[in-house]
Parts: sequence; C-alpha cells; structure tokens
Amino acid sequence: MDNKVDNALIESLVQEQFPDAIRGIEEHYGMLDIITRRENSVEILQWLKEHSLLQFNFLTSLCGMHFPDNAGEELSVVYHLHSFSNNVRIRVHIFFPINDPVVRSITHIWPAANWMERETFDFFGIKFTGHPDLRTILNMDNLGYHPLLKQYPLEDGTRTDKEDKYFGR
Amino acid sequence: MAENKNIEKISGNNKVIINGQLQTDADLSQYNYLNLGPTHPATHGIFQNVLKMDGEVIIEAQPTIGYIHRAFEKLAEHRPFYQVTPITDRMNYCSSPINNIGWYLTVEKLIGVEMPKRVDYMRVVIMELARIADHIVCNSVIAVDTGALTGFLYVFQWREKIYEIYEEICGARLTTNIGRIGGFERDFTPAVIDRINDLVKHLPKALKEFEKMVMRNRIFMDRTIKVGGISAERALAYGFTGPNLRAAGVDYDVRVMTPYCSYEDFAFDIPVGTQGDTYDRFCVREEEMWQSLRIIEQAMKNMPDGNYFADVPEFYLPPKEDVYNTMEGLIWHFKIVMVK
Repeated sequence: MDNKVDNALIESLVQEQFPDAIRGIEEHYGMLDIITRRENSVEILQWLKEHSLLQFNFLTSLCGMHFPDNAGEELSVVYHLHSFSNNVRIRVHIFFPINDPVVRSITHIWPAANWMERETFDFFGIKFTGHPDLRTILNMDNLGYHPLLKQYPLEDGTRTDKEDKYFGR
Repeated sequence: MAENKNIEKISGNNKVIINGQLQTDADLSQYNYLNLGPTHPATHGIFQNVLKMDGEVIIEAQPTIGYIHRAFEKLAEHRPFYQVTPITDRMNYCSSPINNIGWYLTVEKLIGVEMPKRVDYMRVVIMELARIADHIVCNSVIAVDTGALTGFLYVFQWREKIYEIYEEICGARLTTNIGRIGGFERDFTPAVIDRINDLVKHLPKALKEFEKMVMRNRIFMDRTIKVGGISAERALAYGFTGPNLRAAGVDYDVRVMTPYCSYEDFAFDIPVGTQGDTYDRFCVREEEMWQSLRIIEQAMKNMPDGNYFADVPEFYLPPKEDVYNTMEGLIWHFKIVMVK
C-alpha cells in the first residue's frame, strides 16, 4: 500500500473531517487516542469504520471509566478500534457528567457492542440509548447499584472478621 | 394447529379465522418456552438459556451468562503491579501462563523496559505450551460432548505433562503466576529442559492417535460439520478473535501481525478455516497445536544465552543473598514489598 496508514495520517484525516468535534488527540505508547464529545462519538465511530482507507472494522473493546475528581466529566466511555487491513489500533474517548449518564448505543455499527454496553451499564450505570436490550449481564437484576463506580469499596465495610492489620493494610 | 371446528382456513391464502375473527401472526403463535439449564458448559458459573421454540426449532434465546464477575478491575485498583498477576491466572485457567505473560508485557511496556532475548524465548515456550494445554481441553472435550470419551483420555495425560513442566518452572500447576515482571525468578533448570524436549518428542504420537480417532470419524463429523457456522463478516462484527475468528476464514493472527515477545523469530503457519463451523474450529485448534510444537522446537533449539531477567530493580525482586548482604538489594526489596 503506498498510502501507509499511521497515526499522523489518521490524526490529520480525523481533524479534517471533524474540525469541531475533536477535543483533543493524544498519543500514548504508540496508540492514538481521540477525545471527543458524546454528541459526535457515534458519527466519528461510524466514519472511522466506513472510511475507505482507514477501515476500522473491528471493535476490540468498549468499557466505562469513573474519575470521581473530574468534576462535570466523571464518567467516560472508551472504544478500542482495530483496523485489520492496516493493522492499526486506536482509542476513542468520551467524557460526560455522572448525573446525566446517557450515551448513544453503537450496536447498529458493531453488534459486538451489545454485550459490552450491557456490561458498561451494569457496572457503571451508563445508559445506552438505542440499545435493543439494555439489561444487566453479569450482576443479578435487582442488585440496585453499579459496583465499579469508585464510591463502592472493595470489601463490605460492615464486616468485622477482616482486620486490616492481618492483611498488611 | 389441532382440529377445531371454530377455525376456518381460507385455502390458498394464509389467512386464518377463528370464531369469525381474522387472526394476526401474533395471535397464531404457538411458541413454547423452554428453560435450558442452568448448566455448566465450560468455566465455573452457570449458563441459562430461555428458549423460544417453534416445535423443535429455536426461534430466540435469552441467555444468562452466569453471575461470574469476580471484580478483577476493582481488585486491581487496590494492588501493586506484581499482586495483579495471580488475578490474571483466573481469567482463563486453562492457559494461565498466557494471561500472566500478557500482563507482564503490558506492565513492561508501561514502565518502558526491554527484555533480554532469552526471556522472550522462554516466554514463547511457556505460552505455546499453554496454548497446547488449552487446545487439548477444547478439542478433547468437544469429542466428549459429541460422544467419544476415549480420545479425551489419550490427550489429557499430555496436559498433565505440561502441568508438570509448569510445576518445575514455577511450583504451581493450574493458576501458575509464572515468571515475574521483568523476567523469570529462575532460569529453566535441566529438568525443565528435559521435560519440554520429552513433550516435543512424544506428544505428536498422542496427537496423531487422537486425530485418527476423531477427525475423520463419521459420527463426529456428522455432529460438528455445519453446526454453529459463522461467516467471516459476522465473526468480525461480533468481535471474534483467535482460533474462532480464523476458523471463520479471517487470516488474522496477532503473533504475526503485531509480533510481541520475539514471535517474529519463528517460522509457523496460520491455519484458517472456510466454513466457520464447529468442525473448522476443531481443525484450526488441532493444527495450531502442531504449529505450537514447531515453535517450541525452534525456541528450544535457538534459545539465546543471556540473563533470564531484565535490569528493573524497581519491580524485579533482588536475589535473596543481595537482600541480606547489600544495602542496595535491601532497599529495593523493601521498596517492592513494603511500600505501596
């Protein structure tokens, strides 16, 4: 391929296509990280998948993150994409407030997102609009909270049989 | 639909009238709901399917994949890097070493440290052993599930031999916690090398026997060919990876496309399926075992000399004699073990 797809090329193409939607592009350990807004995320992901050169055809992973100190943007969703034809991977990040945890679903782009979005909903309480079947997946239905949010401690605080000093804590 | 005098069918046309009422498709649905499971198909945790059946045909399935989340992420939030390794054992306990080493590679990339070639080769040997052990489980158990127990017993003793190699290297068998961030805690001992060479020499016979029993077996073929077929497009859309993706006809192997751990040094073939059905998945795994043996053979033959650990004192525990006899060793030991 004469037009070798590398991070610089992806960056310029994305900047050119979505000049207003990109909040930042970073590179960590050789992987490009596109930070955008949730209003634009679905269009950008769709464009990345359907672009004739980039062809990010594979959704490697989708997960939530929680940064309690990041006021106004406590929650995040990360998409890991992989272009098989170019053998390049990138990340797409969105941030949004925890009191409005609503993101548009990408199950229509990649069916793989179905269970991943259910998991993200289950553990972070992020609601994906347009998801065909947004139920908990690994926790019981009536758990009532989203356990990977940072406010929930690792262990049940009411237990008295586990003293920190015996565990080197 | 049973004979019912209130039902009148208009011939040549699919309209059905019951008690003078034209019926919609929804009214006519004669679906049964069947609760399949909870069962224990492979890993711990229950798998339940609520099936919507039209006669014997499954129209829809609503799976509950089991309440098996063990909060690895939450646990890892609270631990230093080296204490995360035992958690990775539990991610797929059929091939714990691959997960361990995947974790080491991640941390080593994060802290920016280059491994000596010998560490890479030792890791490749262990990972390929783990791949064989894992594929032995997959392939022999599908034979059991389709009605042939004997083949399972033939190859399972070789999984046992692989566990003995792990045991010799790191002391553990199933949840291995094998190696360290920054290399290995000790070099391969002569006993390890003997056992690996023994395996490479004798496993092919058992594998051939197993293939002879199963691969062209009429019953096995009837029960796996065209069962659970997945097209390449669908496999990609649903995020398949590894042998399942290759069985669907996508020639992608991360060891070739993005070589890590010096995989670029080895010659091996990538088996690819055509139908993406259970039989193809079986055959891809079967061939991968042969290729793994090839890789192990090459790695053992060309094993480079050199250190079995890298120079990362912040993460790699110093040898005990240094801890007791040198100030520097003691400081690093203290920093790794006591300070978090």
